[in-house]
Amino acid sequence: MEEKKDILWRVYLVYFFMCLFGAAIVGRIVFIQFVEGDKWISKAENTTTKLKDIEAVRGNIYAEDGSLLATSIPIYEVRFDPNCDALKDVVWDENIDSLCISLSILFDDKTATEYKRDLIGAKENGARYHLIKRNVKYTQLKKMREFPIFKRGRYKGGFIFMQQNKRQKPFRQLAARTIGYDRDGLKPVGLEGAYRTELKGIEGKRLMQKIGGGVWMPLNADNEIEPQDGSDIVTTIDVNIQDVAHRALLEQLELHNADHGCVVMMEVSTGEIKAIANLSRGKDGDYYEQYNYAIGESTEPGSTFKLASVIAALEEGLVNVTDSVDTGNGRYKFYDQVMTDSKFGGHGKMTFGEALVVSSNIGISKVINDAYAKNPQAFVDRLYKMNLQQSLDVEIAGEGKPLIKSTKDKSWSGVTLPWMSIGYEVQMTPLQILTFYNAIANNGRMVQPKFVNEVQVRGKTIRKIKTQVINESICSKSTIEKIKPLLEEVVENGTARNLKNAHFKIAGKTGTVQIANDKYGYKYDSKVSHQASFVGYFPAESPKYSCIVVVNAPSNNVYYGNLVAGPIFKEIADKVYANSVEIHEELQQQELMANNTIPVSKNGSQKDLVKVFKKLAVPTDVQSLDNQWAITRTGDESVEIQVRKVITGLVPNVVGMAATDAIFLLENAGLGVKIDGKGTIKSQSIKPGLRVGIGDQITLELS
Amino acid sequence: MNNILKYTKGDRAIWLVVLFLSIISTLVVYTSITSLAYRHHDGNTFYYLFRHTTFLIIGLGIMYGIHRIKYSYFSRVAQLALYISVPLLLLTLLIGSNLNNASRWLVIPVINQSFQTSDLAKLSLIMYVARILSIRQDVIKDFKKAFVPIVLPIFAVCGLIFPANFSTAAVLFTVCLVLMFIGRISLKHIGAMIGSGIVAIGLAFLLAMSVPGLLPRIDTWIARIENFSSADSKGNYQAEQSKIAVAAGGITGKGPGKSTQRNFLPHPYSDFIYAIVLEEYGLIGGVTVLMLYLILLYRAVRIVVKSPKAFGALLAVGIAFMLVFQAMINMAVAVNLFPVTGQPLPMVSMGGTSIWFTCIAIGIILSVSRGVEHESTLNRMAHAKI
Repeated sequence: MEEKKDILWRVYLVYFFMCLFGAAIVGRIVFIQFVEGDKWISKAENTTTKLKDIEAVRGNIYAEDGSLLATSIPIYEVRFDPNCDALKDVVWDENIDSLCISLSILFDDKTATEYKRDLIGAKENGARYHLIKRNVKYTQLKKMREFPIFKRGRYKGGFIFMQQNKRQKPFRQLAARTIGYDRDGLKPVGLEGAYRTELKGIEGKRLMQKIGGGVWMPLNADNEIEPQDGSDIVTTIDVNIQDVAHRALLEQLELHNADHGCVVMMEVSTGEIKAIANLSRGKDGDYYEQYNYAIGESTEPGSTFKLASVIAALEEGLVNVTDSVDTGNGRYKFYDQVMTDSKFGGHGKMTFGEALVVSSNIGISKVINDAYAKNPQAFVDRLYKMNLQQSLDVEIAGEGKPLIKSTKDKSWSGVTLPWMSIGYEVQMTPLQILTFYNAIANNGRMVQPKFVNEVQVRGKTIRKIKTQVINESICSKSTIEKIKPLLEEVVENGTARNLKNAHFKIAGKTGTVQIANDKYGYKYDSKVSHQASFVGYFPAESPKYSCIVVVNAPSNNVYYGNLVAGPIFKEIADKVYANSVEIHEELQQQELMANNTIPVSKNGSQKDLVKVFKKLAVPTDVQSLDNQWAITRTGDESVEIQVRKVITGLVPNVVGMAATDAIFLLENAGLGVKIDGKGTIKSQSIKPGLRVGIGDQITLELS
Repeated sequence: MNNILKYTKGDRAIWLVVLFLSIISTLVVYTSITSLAYRHHDGNTFYYLFRHTTFLIIGLGIMYGIHRIKYSYFSRVAQLALYISVPLLLLTLLIGSNLNNASRWLVIPVINQSFQTSDLAKLSLIMYVARILSIRQDVIKDFKKAFVPIVLPIFAVCGLIFPANFSTAAVLFTVCLVLMFIGRISLKHIGAMIGSGIVAIGLAFLLAMSVPGLLPRIDTWIARIENFSSADSKGNYQAEQSKIAVAAGGITGKGPGKSTQRNFLPHPYSDFIYAIVLEEYGLIGGVTVLMLYLILLYRAVRIVVKSPKAFGALLAVGIAFMLVFQAMINMAVAVNLFPVTGQPLPMVSMGGTSIWFTCIAIGIILSVSRGVEHESTLNRMAHAKI
């Protein structure tokens, strides 16, 4: 019993102390709540925190061939917490100098001493979120993570970084407006806007705390929810054609000092837009992609609309292309309004078809006016049947609405019909006109213009976008058969003879229209400005592409469609034709093969070389198939393809290669490349086999 | 159900305490896991709620099972458990999974459930100390016969827990000291033990400082202690956030699920759960939880009063003291009375297998109380016969 008593008082003593401990805790709670309470509560009010959205990496926009049209590159904001709990003075003192030297070397903006002064100042001021650098690239960030102190991480080394994404268009101005943008506070534009949900991805969340001056500091090392990258979209744009279209348009705009212009090229059967360029003069006099005229600007099309009138009349069976019409002396009065032809003295008597070819206003309007005089609504209905009054509903926002008047409209007057037949008192966008001509080229089948082929996630297709048919047949086959030769005739002998070439036939129609001047309207001759256009397709026999060129307000007194818009069309068509082996006539290819023996080729990518030779049916002698780079030797009967070894870290031998292959190879090896001359590479300034030094420059001489 | 109630024996008050703590645990864990749930399960807090209540219910089942065992068996079990724990602790130090530089966890191979070996070792050591103390009561003041056989396993176990988990080792060491005091070990010997304990820790720190990498956790410990002792508050983020929670709660609290500090406190569902209790349920809720633990300890004291045998008394009070002391430490950290340590609040914090060990521990106390009730009725009957 003694034993038990001895144990019991000890237990009570322990219990007493535990109660004391408990009392101390309660006392402490009371102290915090009632003595310090206000201080902590006001502190809580000042430290607002939020789960803030973290932008996902936006998807890429690719050209048809996979070239990057728009991409997001991550940039980082790097901050530093010199007062974080586990960063001890010993570590600080030992490493601060080497950290500052590393920073100074990496950014080369401040000396190590300046960095040290900064960081020590920040530490002494009690900073928890000191800005080290904005706009840090990923490669720099990777290096920074290995720096002394920083390599200890967020909690032990105070290293804080936040990712932002910067949108870039590697081809800069090319199709810039069609690619568009999606920025904070601005209405999204172009494909960036049309596919924003796909491109955007899913935002993540990160817990951020508000510190002084509206700055938000992340609380933890990682995101609370990781963002999910956006999908990529593959457009129909062909960068090579786009490049030609852009440059050709720019050249003509500059030549004619025009206000703005656009070019759209479309694949006939699919409606895929291969190139779309929109340029307008900026305040500095240079031209920029500023507005999508092709899609957004609805204007009076003028003569290019005559095709619709002719088709309408032919479809109704009211006239035939061979019908004769007297255009007289080039002046004709409808009521009080005078219609004129551009040819001085007039075209005289001609057929209805010829009126289209030479673009006689009087010829077309007289025939149409006579044919539909009793029932003008039938003309309008026919146009509606060809879907001309409908928007194309392309995915890019901001399409201009077509306007084709009905006889019920208040503004319909006695002269509306004749003027409408030659493309006045109607409004259409360049893309709508093109879609119509494309339907003719496509034997009556009207397809919706298409900008995007597919949506991809990490290279895997998740959605294919199919061609949409607007109208299976806008007119009868017989009408098409009658129309097509007329459009070819326009280039052969009509208003666009300057587009004619020996290799392939172009079919199309010119358009020159006076456009309403903002202040005066277009009746006052002295103040008119013009819009020159050409729309057509090629090769005329089996159309592959259609294309429209519109140039607005050329101001150097040359304003005819064939002279201003025509050359742009021709340049694009030439380039596309030259690059599209599949639309060349069979005969030429065989001739080429017969005349030449075994061809000489540049050195380069083995895969490409083998593919090309196979396609051209040139016998080859391949050494080994699984090499990337190859040298070619032209023998008597075959091309020998030998291996060119490329060893990582050594300067490769690029002599005999084409510049593109050589630049690819050398830049991948880490060299800066300078090019001198044109053709094949003759010599390289650093000998092959030498070790690549960081930042080395190599000069290539071409001949 | 009636059957279960019929077979549920032991101290009713302790059962009630357990029930209340489980309910509080479910409520508070559910509000405090939002950030964790966001990070790992798309904001699905039900995942954690379900997991936690499952652990709790299984734990209560274990508790029921343990309390049906005759407590005298635990004397033997203690010996066996200790022999298993020591090699397991060693194994954990060498191959255990590493969380924040602290190897504390070991995965049980078949069921693939990780557990903290120190939980097992803690319980075994206290049972073992109670066993030796009760066996050697007759020679309790003897250095060789009583002190040495107790102190050697204490140093072995605490020494093995120490590198990965300083606070657990320190708490366990203190609990053992108190238990030895209650068990009537000579105060002189206890004094010497405290002295050597301090010297051992001092030496370990010195060694760790001179051989970096030997004790990877030492940076954290030193930083925590420095932060706690330094007067300026800029370095002590966690403590500050915790104090904001305490102050924001006021007397009656913000109400269930209204905590905002759960977003800023690290481990609000475990280390700082008491701060969330104070924020949501205020001073009243906080004192209630504290009282529940003191009631638990008081019921253990009552067992000592009633128990005819030393082993039962020491076992019950030792285990109860361990749980309550740990709870007090956790609460003291939350109100910034103590430097930041990673001690969970027993029966309340989320933490898988840790809950089970707590349940085993309470089950043992209940087993003792059941046994004691039984023995005293036998005694009364015996008296009545005379």
